[in-house]
Amino acid sequence: MSAVVHDDHGHGDHHGDHAHHPSGVMRWISTTNHKDIGTLYLWFSGTMFLLGGVLALGIRAELFTPGLQVWNPEFFNQLTTMHGVIMVFGAIMPAFVGFANWQVPMMIGAPDMAFARLNNWSFWLLPFAASLLVISFFVPGGATGAGWTLYAPLTVQMGPGMDLAIFALHIMGASSIMGSINIITTILNMRAPGMTMMKMPLFVWSWLITAYLLIAVMPVLAGAVTMTLTDRHFGTSFFNAAGGGDPVMYQHIFWFFGHPEVYIMILPAFGIVSQILPAFARKPLFGYSSMVYATASIAILSFIVWAHHMFTVGMPAAGLLFFMYATVLIAVPTGVKVFNWLATMWKGSMTFETPMLWAIGFLFVFTMGGFTGLILAIMPVDIQLQDTYYVVAHFHYVLVAGSLFAIFGGVYFWLPKWSGRMYDEKLGKWHFWLSLVFFNVTFFPMHFLGLAGMPRRIPDYALQFADYNLLASIGAFGFGFSQLIFFYVVLKCTVFAQGAKAPANPWEGADTLEWTHLPSPAPYHSFETPPAVR
Amino acid sequence: MALSDKAKTALVLASIVAIFFFGIMLKYWILR
Repeated sequence: MSAVVHDDHGHGDHHGDHAHHPSGVMRWISTTNHKDIGTLYLWFSGTMFLLGGVLALGIRAELFTPGLQVWNPEFFNQLTTMHGVIMVFGAIMPAFVGFANWQVPMMIGAPDMAFARLNNWSFWLLPFAASLLVISFFVPGGATGAGWTLYAPLTVQMGPGMDLAIFALHIMGASSIMGSINIITTILNMRAPGMTMMKMPLFVWSWLITAYLLIAVMPVLAGAVTMTLTDRHFGTSFFNAAGGGDPVMYQHIFWFFGHPEVYIMILPAFGIVSQILPAFARKPLFGYSSMVYATASIAILSFIVWAHHMFTVGMPAAGLLFFMYATVLIAVPTGVKVFNWLATMWKGSMTFETPMLWAIGFLFVFTMGGFTGLILAIMPVDIQLQDTYYVVAHFHYVLVAGSLFAIFGGVYFWLPKWSGRMYDEKLGKWHFWLSLVFFNVTFFPMHFLGLAGMPRRIPDYALQFADYNLLASIGAFGFGFSQLIFFYVVLKCTVFAQGAKAPANPWEGADTLEWTHLPSPAPYHSFETPPAVR
Repeated sequence: MALSDKAKTALVLASIVAIFFFGIMLKYWILR
């Protein structure tokens, strides 16, 4: 099972191309190398992050003061919708797939991903999907403004921008599914001899479980948007109330996808943090096996909590109670993970290089998002807070301070291995502290706005919300401009090849295969002969 | 033709995808 499969029958083009691989643009278009494809994913994600960020600043510009001053309300809805869609499907998810492409083969001692050509295709679908989303702003009626959740009946009524969004989601979903099949197949079949499942690094475990989630729920999203498409153009009435359909049914189907999707965006972040903390605490991860079981438990529970997103639709009391208790139950495995991360650092010889700062920042701020999630899980409270800015604050604490902070930490952690150059430590720390401060300036006031009753997805608001909105907008622009430091640091290491040369293992406590067995930068082809893992 | 372990794994996973994709639509189309 754990033997490395060497394909001698002409299918393994990832081995066949190393003498004559093309250069220039064709290298990137035709590449089947996991490191190249990982790089492509990460740059794509960075580009989408900038695009989604510009849309976010458009939102915050409008909300800077009460009244309508920059955009008309229809365009504001398009901004919120496309900000969500682009950040979820274009920025966060591809970033983690980029990490998986780079790291999974190196961490398990495999030469490449299992299906190298499929890997290329998985990536190259994404720019086309992103183009559809961008083009949708310029069709009659503009982009879809139904919210990233694409709820009926709005989706049945909107213009052609909605169709483009549906096709984009189909394509991105296909990309994710193919990527997941590739990752699972790689992990199950291509581990180096001796790399048993319970010896795999936590990042690999977290991606294995995430990939299973993707396999199960992306087809459900694809089915939901396909039904929306047939409602729009082929006379069906799945969700179209005018024809006897049920819009609430869409919500059930969407959130059956949507809640596991939340964990798809956070489990790989847990994996990254679980690599960083032991490396800088110079101690092995505390409670490895409990971390694996906790991750699996979170994934399984994610399938039975979806209706906590729709407590106000009018469910029977038994349904409300079931989904409330099931949701609260998720705090148990999540608590196990937070406890283990703290115990990993306990009495460790800690140093605070940039990746460690991001990991500790993640631990503090993500956990706050977890707590507000627990508050929202309490059904009677949620009925008050549904669709208010409290929800916006909560999920940005989870997705920005959770997913994005872990992504930043992971990039700083592995950049020496990827580029062969040490990043600028001083600028990295500036990036962290500015991001942490401005993140909280942006999103912490939103808790108060939500508690005071400010609804989300509105371009104008009552005067009593003005001060906190002003603060949030200032924070958002500060956060946005702070990210330019990150892109400068990354470009300096990669494109400009500046900075000190990185040793094979710049981190004293890092002990996974890419650090212990490979030079920096990692060679184009690694582990063609599998390493011995004891 | 014998399938490799990798191909078998991928086929099982692709079947799960197909079941969820078509299953969700069939459920609400036929079993409503």
